[in-house]
Amino acid sequence: MNLSRPDRARRLDLVAAEYALGTLPARARARLDRIAGSDAVVERALRDWERRIAMLADGVAPIQPPPRVWASLARRLGFDGADDAPWWRRLGFWRPFALASFAAAFALAVTLFAPRTERPAESIVVVFAGPDARPALVASVPSGDRFLAVKALAPVTVPAGRALELWMLPGQGAPRSLGLIPASGVGQVRLPAPPELAFRGIDALAVSLEPAGGSPTGLPTGPVLYTGRLERL
Amino acid sequence: MAADADARNARLAALIARVALADQRAFADLYRQTSSHLFSVALRIVRERGIAEELLQEAYVNVWHHAGTYAAERAQPTTWLTAIVRNRCLDHVRKRDVDTVSMTRDAGDDAPELALPDGGPGPAEMLLAGAEAHAIRDCVERLEGGSRQAIALAFFQGLTHSELAQHLAQPLGTVKSWIRRGLERLKGCLEGAGVTE
Repeated sequence: MNLSRPDRARRLDLVAAEYALGTLPARARARLDRIAGSDAVVERALRDWERRIAMLADGVAPIQPPPRVWASLARRLGFDGADDAPWWRRLGFWRPFALASFAAAFALAVTLFAPRTERPAESIVVVFAGPDARPALVASVPSGDRFLAVKALAPVTVPAGRALELWMLPGQGAPRSLGLIPASGVGQVRLPAPPELAFRGIDALAVSLEPAGGSPTGLPTGPVLYTGRLERL
Repeated sequence: MAADADARNARLAALIARVALADQRAFADLYRQTSSHLFSVALRIVRERGIAEELLQEAYVNVWHHAGTYAAERAQPTTWLTAIVRNRCLDHVRKRDVDTVSMTRDAGDDAPELALPDGGPGPAEMLLAGAEAHAIRDCVERLEGGSRQAIALAFFQGLTHSELAQHLAQPLGTVKSWIRRGLERLKGCLEGAGVTE
């Protein structure tokens, strides 16, 4: 049946309307799709009705799809850095930092501990780097101490009304906050337990930019400025 | 309201144009700005979350590959996107109807948020709510009760004629003519109001 014949206009209009509304059975839908591929009049009728019908959809209450939809979509399309894991789960995330921070940590460890004759059981050193892989902050705690000393290696600028929050990134599970770092980038953060306990299972630390007073959700919400691998010395 | 919608459509059209150039960030933006609306549209038709997620994904794959064919002068971006998602979902449910023969779909299965609370808006009210932003509100209101209800159910729940007949406890012929008459009226009214072009 040639639907685009002028005397069939009314019939075409109705079929197109039912197509857009969705009441046509599968075979009729498929047939119409096929015809529309080569018949501009039919194609036009379908698009006109889709436009009318789509207007009706404007009022539906939005429902957020779960994050896995985007993650697998990005993977399917082969997007750069497509990964369903959050940033603190992504292995590749560390690559730019790993070399710089390890080298810096080693150098630092030498200067920190060389004068001592016996090595403490477990001291922690973390060298934080930003995306440019240049060391930006150092955090360290000697064995047995309860305070993590944080020191900026370069001036840190924190926008007004924002704060720097320090996070522990465990091998398993979500980041855990260690509290805020003063805007100057220099300060002491009290650990919830002695370092060997507090940092058990922790691979790395990170610093994120959060609203003043810290993340309202208990998880990093702002951009991650620096990350550093935990070195046990 | 209309100005907001125009600005949003202009923004989305610009994003689609960049997506056509394989701009991944534009695509991510487009997804962020449209996925919750489109997911809602998909869920209403297919009712099962897992399948709605899969179809939504397929629809966006389609958007990624065919953004170049989007013609801003022929359709609003939201129309274009909604049509892609709806068609994907309708193809799925219609095919399933054929495959399974049985057309029983237990309302609320697997999609608790679709179970409308008592006193909550039904499809017909939702049709009006959706139309509210446009001049078509009047047109929808002018439909006869039966037509309005049948069109709303077909639209929001993806029901076929026979499912509608079952649902509304009316003979198939009656439901078909309600829909037909309703759609004709809707079109005439929209054209009269100058909404269409």
